[in-house]
Amino acid sequence: MDVSQYLEIFLDETREHLQSLNTEILNLEQDPENEDTINEIFRAAHSLKGMAGTMGYKRMQTLTHDMENVFSEVRNGTIKIKSHMIDILFQCLDALEEYTANIQENSDEGTNDNEALIKLLNDCLKPEGAEEEAKEETPAAAPSADAGTSSGEDKWNEIPLDEAQRMVLTEAVKQGKKVYGITVKVQESCILKAARSFLVFKAVEEQGEILVSSPSVQDIEDEKFELDFTIIVITDSPLDKVLADIRNVSEIEDAVGAEMTDFEEHKEEAPAAKEEAPAEVKSVPAKAEPSKPAAAAAPEAKGAPAKHEKKGGKAVGNRTVRVDIEKLDVLMNLVSELIIAKNSLVSATTQENSESSAAVDSQIEYLENVTTSLHESVMKVRMVPIESVVNKFPRMIRDLTKKLNKKMDLTMSGEETELDRTVVDEIGDPLMHLLRNSADHGLESAEVRLERGKPEVGSIFLNAYQDGNNVIIEVGDDGNGIDVEKVKNKAIERGTITPEQAGNMSDKEIIDLLFLPSFSTAKEVTDVSGRGVGLDVVKSKIEMLGGEVEVKTKLGEGSTWIIRLPLTLAIIQALMVEVGGEKYAISLNSVTTLENIAPSDVKLVQSEEVIHLRGSVIPLIRLNEVLDIESTRKEGENMIVAIVKKGDKLAGLVVDKLMGQQEIVIKSLGKFVDKTKIISGATILGDGEVALILDTNVLI
Amino acid sequence: MEELKINNGTIQFIVIKVGEEQYGIDIKYVDNIIHMSSITRVPKVAAYIKGVINVRGEVIPVMNIRTKMGLPEAEYTKNTRIVIVKSEQQGFVGLIVDAVREVVTLEVDGIEKMSYDRTGKDMFVTGVGKHQGSLISLLDLNEVLAE
Repeated sequence: MDVSQYLEIFLDETREHLQSLNTEILNLEQDPENEDTINEIFRAAHSLKGMAGTMGYKRMQTLTHDMENVFSEVRNGTIKIKSHMIDILFQCLDALEEYTANIQENSDEGTNDNEALIKLLNDCLKPEGAEEEAKEETPAAAPSADAGTSSGEDKWNEIPLDEAQRMVLTEAVKQGKKVYGITVKVQESCILKAARSFLVFKAVEEQGEILVSSPSVQDIEDEKFELDFTIIVITDSPLDKVLADIRNVSEIEDAVGAEMTDFEEHKEEAPAAKEEAPAEVKSVPAKAEPSKPAAAAAPEAKGAPAKHEKKGGKAVGNRTVRVDIEKLDVLMNLVSELIIAKNSLVSATTQENSESSAAVDSQIEYLENVTTSLHESVMKVRMVPIESVVNKFPRMIRDLTKKLNKKMDLTMSGEETELDRTVVDEIGDPLMHLLRNSADHGLESAEVRLERGKPEVGSIFLNAYQDGNNVIIEVGDDGNGIDVEKVKNKAIERGTITPEQAGNMSDKEIIDLLFLPSFSTAKEVTDVSGRGVGLDVVKSKIEMLGGEVEVKTKLGEGSTWIIRLPLTLAIIQALMVEVGGEKYAISLNSVTTLENIAPSDVKLVQSEEVIHLRGSVIPLIRLNEVLDIESTRKEGENMIVAIVKKGDKLAGLVVDKLMGQQEIVIKSLGKFVDKTKIISGATILGDGEVALILDTNVLI
Repeated sequence: MEELKINNGTIQFIVIKVGEEQYGIDIKYVDNIIHMSSITRVPKVAAYIKGVINVRGEVIPVMNIRTKMGLPEAEYTKNTRIVIVKSEQQGFVGLIVDAVREVVTLEVDGIEKMSYDRTGKDMFVTGVGKHQGSLISLLDLNEVLAE
């Protein structure tokens, strides 16, 4: 079977399953007897196995199969989770990730059989001294598993039959034909459920006639069913033959069936079947263990006594479509083009000499609303929670705990914060660098911590939240903080700065040296960090994404790295201003107020121009000086000042003229001219001219 | 016949005029040739970068090839053109030239390679080709676009 077209889906889903395995196994380490976790792991391993099998990745399949075996035993209570098992399981996940990486690179899983791992896994299955216990428990557990997989064993009895169908059935039996009820289960990994079901129908129809199916044929064709469907078949063939034919269809997990003879009883039950169905399911555990609350699902209730609250049913599946990011890029570009065209229309109709009717104006206003909403929707489509990236960090910190022999805890918040997909894809590595830095350099050893009166277990945190049009991600620790003196000495030693320069530098300037290429303060180079590639890479990556990074640190108390990222990369609301006859755009989001300031209100503090505004002292930046151009403002005239903010810092930008607010499409300046830090991009105005976008964050 | 020759040891060049000299730009790098349009100045960049322009909805940096070659700037005339070239490293870049003359096809064998120790204006020239009695200096685009 040619499966290449499913490769993308396979890779996506494999990664999801691996992530969920990582998370759940971490949970399991904390809480080795949590049944929900064990079941979740079992399910994920099982799906992985099925998927790998379908795609023909035998080694991957073997490994997952053995993992599944272990969990099957754990689930049955035969063996207990021990800490060395967790390590083995994590190694398995790493091996699986390697397979996945290989598959992504060259569509082949590679040749590593991971025999050692498989042997370790199989060793887990041999419980020392627990054998007797196991024997006792196995029979008790086995039926529960059965009950789980075949909870719909006689689903065919629940299919409501109408009068005519019952007559057909009775007639068929009279003619010596056989009537079977058959439930077919499709593999969880099956991608084309409808197609597989169609093959099943075809196979069965070669032997006989399908009278009814549940769900209806239409629903099955539309894939409106979970994993199984039930049919009632009239045929001359023996049941085994029919079932065997069905099982021959690939990606069919199983087919169970039984002969139906007694339609009389069926007849009576049929009308009530619908209402009774849910009640029946509940009654299974109730019968098995009357003391149990009826609400618990069958397998859980029968296995080991439930020790934990069930989290509630399986989450309702989202109705989602997977779309290639490139298609979204195209869509986004088209929206950008549309907005530029709209801006041209607006500027054409607002020109003084043009006579436009009120109708045209109102339609243009309507067009503006629509394009703005369209842009917002497309942007939202591209947004994904950072969860997919940060989820791998708890596992990483766990590994670091062992590797560095330091005790540490990672707390995360705001995983649901959403960012543009392209940003999320890129932000993983910088965050990982920062977390590793915190673990390696930031946190002190346990002895030092105790000496300093800090809790023995170091804490590392990652907080994400939205702040206006930005998303802030803070990564930090309660460790040693950055030793400014040490950085200074190191910089002098390396010749990065001269001792004289060092004397004039503020602490902040010295800390910024850390972001220079090849500057590592770790005394020893470790496996974890300190190879000298790190912070400069972090900085350039984040700047590439249009964001910025800064650090707040206090010696002895810890440091926090603050990453500020733009929500969207493409379209912003901007304040258009004129400086020296040139047009510039300033992100409206960073503008707090616009002020009219008399020249006499400008004061000098440490030879810097400032203004007093509502109780705060705000430094003044004359944009014409920054932009090397002559201001058109006449001497003595009042100044127009746009107050802009960056975090809690404010600054006043002096401009010549305000032109109003406009939605602009950000275009890159191209590599050739993007060395200019104060210009973050360009945009095309309604009249086709290019205006530059000022990055106020650099100015402040 | 002409087409066969192109694939057979010949290269096409766009001939531009800078000052009194003729230069050739390998046609495979040329994306577009446009008339002078309004250029938006970009502050704090090298003097030869005149700013950015809008070409079919894309923002493209423009450099003056005269300034880059160390020649005095000339007034823009009705013959002044912007040749949009695409390089792998720099992406699209516009070159302001005094005029665009024609497209010529040169035999590779007829191109005279320049020596390695090039200086001044010759720094940007890889070789010299002959076409109908006149000499065409062939531009080394990587050198022209280098910062």
